[in-house]
Amino acid sequence: MQSWRRRKSLWLALSASWLLLVLLGGFSLLRLALPPRPRPGAPQGWPRWLDAELLQSFSQAGELPEDAASPQAPHGGSCNWGACFDTSKCRGDGLKVFVYPASGPISETHHRILASIEGSRFHTFSPAGACLLLLLSLDAQTGECSSMPLQWNRGRNHLVLRLHPAPCPKTFQLGQAMVAEASPTVDSFRPGFDVALPFLPEAHPLRGGAPGQLQQHSPQPGIALLALEEERGGWRTADTGSSACPWDARCEQDPGPGQTQHGETLPNATFCLISGHRPEAASRFLQALQAGCIPVLLSPRWELPFSEVIDWTKAAIVADERLPLQVLAALQEMSPARVLALRQQTQFLWDAYFSSVEKVIHTTLEVIQDRIFGTSAHPSLLWNSPPGALLALSTFSTSPQDFPFYHLQQGSRPEGRFSALIWVGPPGQPPLKLIQAVAGSQHCAQILVLWSNERPLPSSWPETAMPLTVIDGRRKVSDRFFPYSTIRTDAILSLDARSSLSTSEVDFAFVVWQSFPERMVGFLTSSHFWDEAHGGWGYTAERTNEFSMVLTTAAFYHRYYHTLFTHSLPKALRTLADEAPTCVDVLMNFLVAAVTKLPPIKVPYGKQRQEAAPLASGGPGPRPKPQAPAPDCVNQIAAAFGHMPLLSSRLRLDPVLFKDPVSVQRKKYRSLEKP
Amino acid sequence: MRSALGVRRPGARSPSPSSLLARPDSALEVVAGESARSDPGGGGPCPRHEPVTERGAEREAAVAEECEKEAVCVIMCASVKYNIRGPALIPRMKTKHRIYYITLFSIVLLGLIATGMFQFWPHSIESSNDWNVEKRSVRDVPVVRLPADSPIPERGDLSCRMHTCFDVYRCGFNPKNKIKVYIYALKKYVDDFGVPVSNTISREYNELLTAISDSDYYTDDINRACLFVPSIDVLNQNTLRIKETAQALAQLSRWDRGTNHLLFNMLPGGPPDYNTALDVPRDRALLAGGGFSTWTYRQGYDVSIPVYSPLSAEVDLPEKGPGPRRYFLISSQVGLHPEYREDLEALQVKHGESVLVLDKCTNLSEGGLSIRKRCHKHQVFDYPQVLQEATFCVVLRGARLGQAMLSDVLQAGCVPVVIADSYILPFSEVLDWKRASVVVPEEKMSDVYSILQSIPQRQIEEMQRQARWFWEAYFQSIKAIALATLQIINDRIYPYAAISYEEWNDPPAVKWGSVSNPLFLPLIPPQSQGFTAIVLTYDRVESLFRVITEVSKVPSLSKLLVVWNNQNKNPPEDSLWPKIRVPLKVVRTAENKLSNRFFPYDEIETEAVLAIDDDIIMLTSDELQFGYEVWREFPDRLVGYPGRLHLWDHEMNKWKYESEWTNEVSMVLTGAAFYHKYFNYLYTYKMPGDIKNWVDAHMNCEDIAMNFLVANVTGKAVIKVTPRKKFKCPECTAIDGLSLDQTHMVERWENSDQEPGLVSQTLTLWQTGPAFPLS
Repeated sequence: MQSWRRRKSLWLALSASWLLLVLLGGFSLLRLALPPRPRPGAPQGWPRWLDAELLQSFSQAGELPEDAASPQAPHGGSCNWGACFDTSKCRGDGLKVFVYPASGPISETHHRILASIEGSRFHTFSPAGACLLLLLSLDAQTGECSSMPLQWNRGRNHLVLRLHPAPCPKTFQLGQAMVAEASPTVDSFRPGFDVALPFLPEAHPLRGGAPGQLQQHSPQPGIALLALEEERGGWRTADTGSSACPWDARCEQDPGPGQTQHGETLPNATFCLISGHRPEAASRFLQALQAGCIPVLLSPRWELPFSEVIDWTKAAIVADERLPLQVLAALQEMSPARVLALRQQTQFLWDAYFSSVEKVIHTTLEVIQDRIFGTSAHPSLLWNSPPGALLALSTFSTSPQDFPFYHLQQGSRPEGRFSALIWVGPPGQPPLKLIQAVAGSQHCAQILVLWSNERPLPSSWPETAMPLTVIDGRRKVSDRFFPYSTIRTDAILSLDARSSLSTSEVDFAFVVWQSFPERMVGFLTSSHFWDEAHGGWGYTAERTNEFSMVLTTAAFYHRYYHTLFTHSLPKALRTLADEAPTCVDVLMNFLVAAVTKLPPIKVPYGKQRQEAAPLASGGPGPRPKPQAPAPDCVNQIAAAFGHMPLLSSRLRLDPVLFKDPVSVQRKKYRSLEKP
Repeated sequence: MRSALGVRRPGARSPSPSSLLARPDSALEVVAGESARSDPGGGGPCPRHEPVTERGAEREAAVAEECEKEAVCVIMCASVKYNIRGPALIPRMKTKHRIYYITLFSIVLLGLIATGMFQFWPHSIESSNDWNVEKRSVRDVPVVRLPADSPIPERGDLSCRMHTCFDVYRCGFNPKNKIKVYIYALKKYVDDFGVPVSNTISREYNELLTAISDSDYYTDDINRACLFVPSIDVLNQNTLRIKETAQALAQLSRWDRGTNHLLFNMLPGGPPDYNTALDVPRDRALLAGGGFSTWTYRQGYDVSIPVYSPLSAEVDLPEKGPGPRRYFLISSQVGLHPEYREDLEALQVKHGESVLVLDKCTNLSEGGLSIRKRCHKHQVFDYPQVLQEATFCVVLRGARLGQAMLSDVLQAGCVPVVIADSYILPFSEVLDWKRASVVVPEEKMSDVYSILQSIPQRQIEEMQRQARWFWEAYFQSIKAIALATLQIINDRIYPYAAISYEEWNDPPAVKWGSVSNPLFLPLIPPQSQGFTAIVLTYDRVESLFRVITEVSKVPSLSKLLVVWNNQNKNPPEDSLWPKIRVPLKVVRTAENKLSNRFFPYDEIETEAVLAIDDDIIMLTSDELQFGYEVWREFPDRLVGYPGRLHLWDHEMNKWKYESEWTNEVSMVLTGAAFYHKYFNYLYTYKMPGDIKNWVDAHMNCEDIAMNFLVANVTGKAVIKVTPRKKFKCPECTAIDGLSLDQTHMVERWENSDQEPGLVSQTLTLWQTGPAFPLS
């Protein structure tokens, strides 16, 4: 019985396992034997060839290297940068430009453009030392065309600058000369050699220029989606909700709820549709840019301005005119984030490169300089994000991290140390107390003393743990902002020997600067105002509710502003600062505000000292009494800048817990609140 | 494991193995391994067998391994059990039977393992995808005879641009903004005499077409296609007969003068003059060519592609960190023109050890490996490994402008020094070669050394990283080249959906670390614009009216919006509301959700939004006005009154939330805060993960979510405005009770797919007060 049962259970187990085997294994065996047919309707891809592994390579081993090289470069009919520009002349100090003097009487515009180039750092008076010879052909409307200049040399290293499309008969062959002209057609444009300029209207401001029209970041609700340029001038806003083909001639009989704005008004819409056929439409492009209306170019036949360096995909949309519905749908569905980014970029580009004739010319020269520099040219980021390549000099650095503007994009943070730069003016007392206060800061890396007076250098300096360097200045006020190579940190604390600061104040101000590395962070402020009575700008160090400047006798800022101050400001302005020393503060504030388009930052300063105010003197001048700089100074600088860049702020940054009713022991910057 | 052992009741006679399992109270043992395998509730990790076609091979392998382990364990357990308890359960079992049992058991086990093998092996070799594709040999493709007088396309139009020569109508409207690419079937072309026109297809071209076919661009419907890729292989011009190939192209079914056809060519031209573009007449067809010069390249129409280097696949060069290397400059090309070689050797003489000029090895016995060796005098170097020893690598123009060596150089993380006048670098339309290479004019070759030495070390390291990244992203394989080419064409056709410069050029490390502030333009909005106050309320009408009255005194207020979040109760009648000088709108919501506060209502016409709770009554109008002015100077930040801090608690190893008086602030409460309207849009539509739902479900933490959102997209800290009075509000006292949720919130954010670390960077140590105290 037992054995029967056992045997039975054995059989059962055996049969069960066989069943399992067949169930599990049989199916897969079956499938292995019969590969299934491809399912009908499934996408037929490129076949997987059975002998794909056996196929030959496209280039047989050894074939490539065996090709005998020919020493002649492939040649075409036209010029390119390598073939037609001799960079050997540009070695040394980079791009030096000689401008041919105009023959005969010249117009006011021509004169001013000449002056603006002569004031720039590129200019040279000797054609022999120049690496680029500039031929202005500006006055096309007068019918006067320039003749072949003397050092023409088949146009080598020449740039023919045509701001307005010239109906000029070609009096001479352009040869190897580069052409910078407004909206060149795509077919005649030689990429990397010619420069595409914007199509400037006749009355374009020479300097400064109108700021962008954008008042707010995001489009106003209810604003028209599209504005269309009209052939006779002006813009027509279209409601795209109903009309399916807003720019198509076939829709003309259905006028729709469009509005027409005539004359020179700027479009008020999110997108501006610009035809690509007529070169005149290129002038509309600039209008749209200024208005913050995102240009939508339909198959442009002309090259976009400065396309070599400006990434237009960030500010404009180039679409195909043959697919109007698709473009329209894409515009309607564009995400708010993209619209926001495009709008802001139009404003940045307008302000940085197009708002004045001077900027256009400087940008042209900067483009050519970048070609000469090769590897040390501006990286694309510097061209395409604020403040723009004209204000971010590639001679300072080509690494974006070195500049104060790109920390967010680069994912980097400002350095945690600063250098104190103490200017010792005419009384000539070594600032011992100040050195000790600054050296006490945990963030201080070095102290530099700029000795700038008649008295001899003192032989002994106070003992500090900080490295102390003494620089014997040249007794010019603008020396204060010279980019000394001994400054090793990004942050500079600029001080006057007579300033008095506590370590807490320095520490806190530096922490604030780290949050705003592109701005000036100062303790004492002054402001500008429009003086109706005199019809000019005024200056006051009075305590008002707002301020627009901080005194550089005690301020943190980035080392880069020294380079910018010395190398990019026109010579005339620096001379002005040397002659009227109180102006140097104003000038520095103008410069930083023009770059950042933001006001400076004020941090708290001990109350008693503020009233005694040895620091409140307008500048490091010899006057013992606080004195505002001549108001004339503000006006002169504003005139040189072409506009008033200063902006007012109404706030001050305090430490958290500042004046809060908690125990002083809990506060980090205790001495700030001491009476 | 014991529960997994099936046992059988004595009287039951079920033949089915499955019925064996359900009887736990039997006295007899059955085969343990089997039941363990088929019991789904047995707790073992081995799943039941089922058709596994769609499973990943790795997972199957892992499962198979587990099954084997488990089977072994079962044997052990079974024998243990038998040894201990066997005699009691089966009294008369003899040694003979025991052996019999074990033998039987092992046979079954072997059978099972074999089954497993059958089940898993074939699938791990071939992906399921393959089952759909027909298996054929290249030799079996249909043959097409080309008559000698069949038409030849025109030479090619140098003035072609996308808007003149490309038919966009074929691409039409496409919600995904993707072009559709059709590949012609492979055919073998012969002339009248039966002589083949070219090699049917090369390995690389087959790979290229496979890559396109596997990509999202592919379509097998010729009528829906926007771009056509012929399967006629023109990668190397030397392997084909030009006239006949052109004839073959012209007879393609949709040729139509070559419109919308894309040809891939890497080695153009032939001896003696080596044209820089493919010589095959191709009319309007787009050409993706390696080795274009400025004179043959049609800007914005053609695509410049790299010459693929077979070494990319053959040689595995691990990435080498940037930094100084043994040689400063190396030239490893063979077959250089003697003039160039002289120039290079002069450099070597002048600069000694730091310059290395290599040539072909002449005295090597085995010829096959010679392409992988380079020699300098009698020293033999491995190529391309030697490139990793150099900082800069010369890539000179050979007979052709495009050199496969460029790819090797990039792979080695060596900065290419391109000396080839008029050469259009690969993908130059989108890649910023200034970041990864040095281009030197040919006439400046003797100055190369000094030019390179003037580059700062930091920039060199950046270039080395960038070079390697270009190789990894765009040069590494034929697939990478094909997809980048299609992406470029795609971006031209759908420009509004184009990939940005950063996406093309920034290496992943930079992409992760960088923040692109959506409000990057430095702009101070005019004061005249004013702000819109949004009051979220449920039913505290009295307190709400006080808030409205107080807020309406702020000069810059332009509109007041009350979000009525109570669905069960109607808002008070119009006449009961306080009379204020600005428009007052009441929005009734459909559901009582906290997110309603952050909805981008159309009624908000200003950029500045003041979110204020219906119980914040201690803020004076001066303070609110000042808060608005602070916001104008910082429009991309949250500007609020009471501050909070989130901290990393090292002891608890998680985030905590601090409302105590501290020296740092990282958040402001949105019970009273100014911010840009755009953040409402982000909160409602772009909040990462399920945070928005979580907030709505828990009715809490919306302020933390908003703070984190803004900190993440802008990378900037909040601004705390100093209120003159100490800030007291019922909500703030309730914080402690809610802190658990708050902590959860912070963790949730960390767990969502956001970049970590950003939030914690946005601490500030400062707050704002008026420039000069008002008093």
